[in-house]
Amino acid sequence: MLLTPVFVYLVPDNFFLTVALTILVPPNKITLSMQPNRLIFYLCIWLLPAMASAQARHVVSGTIRDKQSGETLIGASVMLIEVPYAAVVSNSYGFYSLSAVPGRYTLVVSFSGYASDSIAVDLSKDTSISITLDAGGRQLQEAVVTAGKNNNVTKPLMGVQKLSISEIKDLPVLFGEKDILKTLQLLPGVQSAGDGNSGFFVRGGNTDQNLILLDEATVYNPSHLLGFFSTFNSDAIKDVTLYKGATPAEYGGRLSSVLDVKMNDGNNKEFHASGGIGLISSRLNIEGPIEKDKSSFIVSARRTYADVFLKLSKDSSTNQNSLYFYDINAKANIRVGAKDHIYFSGYFGKDNLGFGNTFGIDYGNVTGTLRWNHIFNSRLFSNTSLIYSKYNYNIRINSGNNNIGIASYIKDLHFKEDMQYYANANNKMNFGIDVINHITSPGVISASETSSFNPLTLQDKHALESSAYFSHDLSVSGRLSINYGLRATTFTIMGPGSFYTYDKDGNAVDTVTYAGGKVVKNYFNLEPRFSTSYKLTGRSSIKLAYTRTTQNLHLLSNSTSANPTDVWIPSSNNVKPELADQVSAGYYRNFHDNQYEFSSEFYYRDLKNQIDYKNGAQLIANENVESQVVFGKGRAYGWELFIKKKYGKFNGWVSYTLSRTERQFSEINNGSYFPANQDRTHNLSIVGIYKAGKKWTLSADFTYYSGNAVTWPSGKYEVNGQIAFLYSQRNTHRMPAYHRLDVGATLQGKKTKKFDSNWNFSIYNLYGRENPYSITFEQDPDNPSRTRALQYALFRWVPSVTYNFKF
Amino acid sequence: MRPILLIFASICLFSCKKEVNLNLDDAGPHIVIQGEITDAAGPYSVKINQSVSFNSENSFPAVSGASIKISDNEGHTDSLTETSPGVYSTQLLQGKPGNTYTMTVKALDSLYTAVSTMPFPVNFDSITFRQNSPFGNDRITAVPNFQDPAGVKNFYLFNEYLNGLMVTKDIFVFDDRLSDGKYITRGLRNSDETLHESDSLEIQMYCIDEPIFNYFNQLDESGGRGGAFNAAASPANPVSNISSGALGYFSAHTVRSRKTKVHIE
Repeated sequence: MLLTPVFVYLVPDNFFLTVALTILVPPNKITLSMQPNRLIFYLCIWLLPAMASAQARHVVSGTIRDKQSGETLIGASVMLIEVPYAAVVSNSYGFYSLSAVPGRYTLVVSFSGYASDSIAVDLSKDTSISITLDAGGRQLQEAVVTAGKNNNVTKPLMGVQKLSISEIKDLPVLFGEKDILKTLQLLPGVQSAGDGNSGFFVRGGNTDQNLILLDEATVYNPSHLLGFFSTFNSDAIKDVTLYKGATPAEYGGRLSSVLDVKMNDGNNKEFHASGGIGLISSRLNIEGPIEKDKSSFIVSARRTYADVFLKLSKDSSTNQNSLYFYDINAKANIRVGAKDHIYFSGYFGKDNLGFGNTFGIDYGNVTGTLRWNHIFNSRLFSNTSLIYSKYNYNIRINSGNNNIGIASYIKDLHFKEDMQYYANANNKMNFGIDVINHITSPGVISASETSSFNPLTLQDKHALESSAYFSHDLSVSGRLSINYGLRATTFTIMGPGSFYTYDKDGNAVDTVTYAGGKVVKNYFNLEPRFSTSYKLTGRSSIKLAYTRTTQNLHLLSNSTSANPTDVWIPSSNNVKPELADQVSAGYYRNFHDNQYEFSSEFYYRDLKNQIDYKNGAQLIANENVESQVVFGKGRAYGWELFIKKKYGKFNGWVSYTLSRTERQFSEINNGSYFPANQDRTHNLSIVGIYKAGKKWTLSADFTYYSGNAVTWPSGKYEVNGQIAFLYSQRNTHRMPAYHRLDVGATLQGKKTKKFDSNWNFSIYNLYGRENPYSITFEQDPDNPSRTRALQYALFRWVPSVTYNFKF
Repeated sequence: MRPILLIFASICLFSCKKEVNLNLDDAGPHIVIQGEITDAAGPYSVKINQSVSFNSENSFPAVSGASIKISDNEGHTDSLTETSPGVYSTQLLQGKPGNTYTMTVKALDSLYTAVSTMPFPVNFDSITFRQNSPFGNDRITAVPNFQDPAGVKNFYLFNEYLNGLMVTKDIFVFDDRLSDGKYITRGLRNSDETLHESDSLEIQMYCIDEPIFNYFNQLDESGGRGGAFNAAASPANPVSNISSGALGYFSAHTVRSRKTKVHIE
């Protein structure tokens, strides 16, 4: 039949699917009792309508780039004016493909912040057209066709937030350090983990339930300095997309969201250097062609220098303390012929904190991604990635006779093959496989002979996470679009190692030892993904989505702030994969020539196999850490409202979320549902940016949210001469509400062809509200006959100034 | 992880701390029982009182008229007598390492029971001192020196008596999970500047059993001590070894004690 050749072409020798199926369906667990060939046959049946209509059409395809820098543009809209609804969005590498019956067409390309371009196309055969867009021509942009700017209305994707660096550059920020993670917290459904913190919660998920990717590599600890800075240097970032639960099938591994961060490729036309000098950190960015128009590189680095001030101190005990972080992003890419493109990108970051020579900790992420784009033909785009990711920490303690080191890491080696097939203007398929080898070293203690501790090496944990996925973007009619997909994941826990079984008190009752490479346990999960949009009018639509996600790596954390020593543990014989099912529904409407964008989304999420730890859990260097956790479930639901003015002299947005997040553990609150720590009823953000003439840009943002759920004492008593607090139910109290106004101003310097600079001023928490970071309880040292509650607030009136330059 | 948190807390130039009034619940009075048997000479006491609301004074109403018995696995049983309101004393019982003790308390119309086994004692060699200087504050830390016996689980609790008064701000518990058989020189790090040169310091070292270690370890974690960054995410009451929901503990432990003047070598 006519399909077979297509598939042979798609999947040479059925290699990938066969590999995927072998991995996915272990012999002892045949849940799909089909032979690979049969399965492919069924997949082909699914694809039949797409293939049949693909006859007698020609394809126009190519890459969309920035005219000045040659950077590929992600998410640009491409459409043929003459064919209603024939529109696609350029992929992560700027590639697009559209097909139509032979004829003369006008191809229109538009991208936010760029002048749209239209090109006459005579489609008599498959045609390749690469397009460059001009970032300079804003005036043009508003005059030219605005079609394609309403992708938020027409595409079936739900719960997606995109940020471009140009959008965040004028916003006021803490310490003058632009931070994509903090800007994300101003969007609906995304909550800050605390004042000034880059950690975030998405729709009731925990911070470890966000998959954070930097050029496809997992970033296990996305923060510096206990969460006050993110690992993302905004100079190095091109595109940021956050999927809040309705995640496309190509992503997996975390329950609540995917944050996909893409690095700049580097200018392939001319050399540039840019940077910034701020009060606590400086940045430098260098980019340029290796061979003009064919290859380029970019290196971005930054370092904080709070420790320089410590060094200035005359006090010898202070000036020996260290406190800094730095990070380096580097990327190079080369085009090989017309059909191949190779990218290498890497990230290296390190934090260093120390008390003289008595105590020190350093920690950081390293990632590396090698990618190969191959255009098989004008309809089929392939990307093959080899990815490395590692997070580690080292602690050094020197105290008296005690010389101790504690080290731990998590390391991934990841292979990913992703194929995008543009069958025609109404059908796009995406499929691939994903294999990750996870190795975690939960802890190695080294200790000198005289120290109070024994050297100890906890056994490494090995696991293989293999997935295959398929999704289909289908425009059923001009009004109805559907995206459905399936992701199948097997998490294989491997030897070598000893695996324990625990009784209910957490005592190991049985131990089984496995040799290296032996399979200890497999968890197989199918994750269906579905979303649909129905256009009510040209400017409004309703959407529905259902998503299942699973998670096999779990972060154990027992403090309120992000801690570099929090432990990741893989699923095991004791710890089952976390599961989430989310349904969401929304209404989308654009106004005023797509200048305003409005959305309203409801979501309900059901969570299973959620993890909490026992009271007093020992999480550090504990071989039996799994005996310290308890398992329960959760639910989260909410309503998100978002209105954004996208362009004009004044732009900005208002975002509001009404939500509830609850957990249930049989060990806590007598097994009834209780509010999760991050349960906040109201979340409001207002962001405004005003271009006051040619030189000044003014900005402000206001944030309000209800207080977290917390556990406070409901009495006190005396134990061993000390005051102890009596707790009754978990999380029945509320922190005071949080609110804050930040203002900023950017002064544009004289702009010449050779040099561009600006000054950025901002004040964080303008009216100096003491937002409680934490509240603690103690016996009053001045009056031991009473106890008191102490509130800690961190940042009030924090001014900052940054000088940015580019040449 | 306290040191890291401390470093950060110290550089938060903009941080501020203040006392606040909160609208806290009152769980009502709960019975608190504290019983101890040691290897020192008796009598030993059991204290019973009640919890109060957070905003009350730190005086805890005694529970009088309880009937308390403590027995050991050698067949001795002692009935305690109330020597002052809420304080009950043994008459004959002598604590002995290795023995298991059972306490039964009848008070306020309820019956409470608890069991504890007295571990074998560990010699307490000496107290030394160490000086740490986090950000210029010279802080003196006392270091108990002792040999942990190899091959057995040991759990320790330390009390500091400074110029005759117990230091009540800090809880010092320690287990040999990562230190089995080592010569231990781990400092008792106070949460603020507590010790000064030429103060008189007595340290009592208890060898406690595992449930009591867990109790004090959890108590320490849920105490909310340690400032802005160190609050436990979800504090809870420590798990007591006393039945029927009583707060407090019943511990059979050994006591070794050393006394010295605070000094820097």
